[in-house]
Amino acid sequence: MKRLTALVKAAGNWICGHRFRAAILVVVLVFTAPWPARAIGFDPCCALLVAGLSSIQSALTKVIGGGLNQILSVDRAMQQFQLTVVWPQNLINQAKSVVSVLQANFSQIQNLMKIPVNSATLPVSQELEQVLLSRDPSHIAQTSRVYTALYGPVPQAAAASAQVLNIVDMTDAAAQAAMKRAIEIDALADLELQAANQLNQSIQTAAPGTAPIIEAQADAWLIRANAYTQSATADLMRLRSIDLANASADIKMGANNTTSLRQALANLLQHQ
Amino acid sequence: MQLVIYMVFFTSFAWLVIALKSHRRLVATTLAGILVLTLIGVPQPAQAQIGIVKAIEAVLNVINGPIQTALSAINTARTAMNNFEQLAVWPQQLINQTRAQVIQMIGQYRNRMSNILETKLNSASLPAPQALEAIIRDHQAGNYPALTAMFTNNYGAIPAVTAASAADRAMSDVDDALALDNLKTLKAVDHATDIELHSADAIENASGQAAPGSAPFLTAAAITSAIHVQALTQKLLAAELRQEAARMAHRNRLRKENAANTTELRGVLVNLLQHQ
Repeated sequence: MKRLTALVKAAGNWICGHRFRAAILVVVLVFTAPWPARAIGFDPCCALLVAGLSSIQSALTKVIGGGLNQILSVDRAMQQFQLTVVWPQNLINQAKSVVSVLQANFSQIQNLMKIPVNSATLPVSQELEQVLLSRDPSHIAQTSRVYTALYGPVPQAAAASAQVLNIVDMTDAAAQAAMKRAIEIDALADLELQAANQLNQSIQTAAPGTAPIIEAQADAWLIRANAYTQSATADLMRLRSIDLANASADIKMGANNTTSLRQALANLLQHQ
Repeated sequence: MQLVIYMVFFTSFAWLVIALKSHRRLVATTLAGILVLTLIGVPQPAQAQIGIVKAIEAVLNVINGPIQTALSAINTARTAMNNFEQLAVWPQQLINQTRAQVIQMIGQYRNRMSNILETKLNSASLPAPQALEAIIRDHQAGNYPALTAMFTNNYGAIPAVTAASAADRAMSDVDDALALDNLKTLKAVDHATDIELHSADAIENASGQAAPGSAPFLTAAAITSAIHVQALTQKLLAAELRQEAARMAHRNRLRKENAANTTELRGVLVNLLQHQ
């Protein structure tokens, strides 16, 4: 501190003694020192910032704002098109109302098919009819018993020729199989009606985007239904084929019997 | 950095001003010092200002370059998508044309086909068959007892217990029963067919006003209706199977009886020949 005071004192003495030189140093310092570049009143830095920000604003407005507005107008046109042409809510609701009308029709059909049609009056035929119209596959096992009760068993081996026995057995088998298949087909048809109702109900709560999924499932069910129809048709054809074969067998057996009879008569006449 | 250099030079200058004795040297040193210190102390260009300008230019370049290009590309793509949807996928003109076609086909076919199906087929000439024919074709499912009565009226009742063997009575009963079952089923199915045709009309009417987005509902409903139709066709086939099976079983029963009768006849003949 003392040294500093002494130094200041010495400097003061020197300045008092050399006023001209001190003035030179002060003047030179004042005019040549690198003062920070500050604008008085108008700052060029702020002006640049203002001009730059103004350019950015203009670019944002014209380039980005303009571009986004164009995209927005295209999107609005698309939205309008989709709302009014592709997926109009009123037409979607109208289609759903048609589906609910169909639901009522389906219920009516199901009720129609549930009305009993049994008509037999005697116990044996009533039992067979009950099994045949049961629509219950668990009753298939009873078919042979009630069938035999009504139409009788295959004759004993001594009661007819082997050919006749074969024809009788085959015909009974074909008839029983057809009856069993009829029970199956009835049960399957009931399940298909049930599934179709379920699908129809789900259409009523579907969205336009999910309806095609239900449509695909319904298509699969339709294919299945067609397959069952084919299966039933095949059984019907089988039955008719056996019937045709029986008619042919009757002709063949008639021819054989006629030949045998002719031979027997010839033998009888020769003996006389 | 500039300030440090200036301080060094100014200190040197101050030392020279203090140390020099000669006035001429002092003047020369002062002039030289002013010159050197002025050069050193001249304000340097503002780095910060250059940075701001460059940053603004960079931002503007980004806006006018990649962003403008990207927005233009998005706009082009969206416009193309819009045009594709409106002109290729769902052209309004074709939608209207398709609706008009549906309505035109309804007018062209519906009544014509309905009239064909409703053509009366009744052909019986006597009262009892006429009544039976009328009831089996009336598309009603609520009059089954009347059908049974008219059927019996036409084809007779099951023989009395004393009039035929138990087997023959049972055969007759089951044949009649299966015939009646099927006639009843056919009446129900005829009614169901009418309902199905109404469903088809409803779907077709709605498709004449449908939009591309509402059509899948109608398609799905049409398919479920088709499943119904298939199920009823199967029920008819099942009835046909029962009927054909019963017919074959009946003939087979006769075949069995023939075999039994033949065996019995053979026995009688053998006995007769033995007695002779």
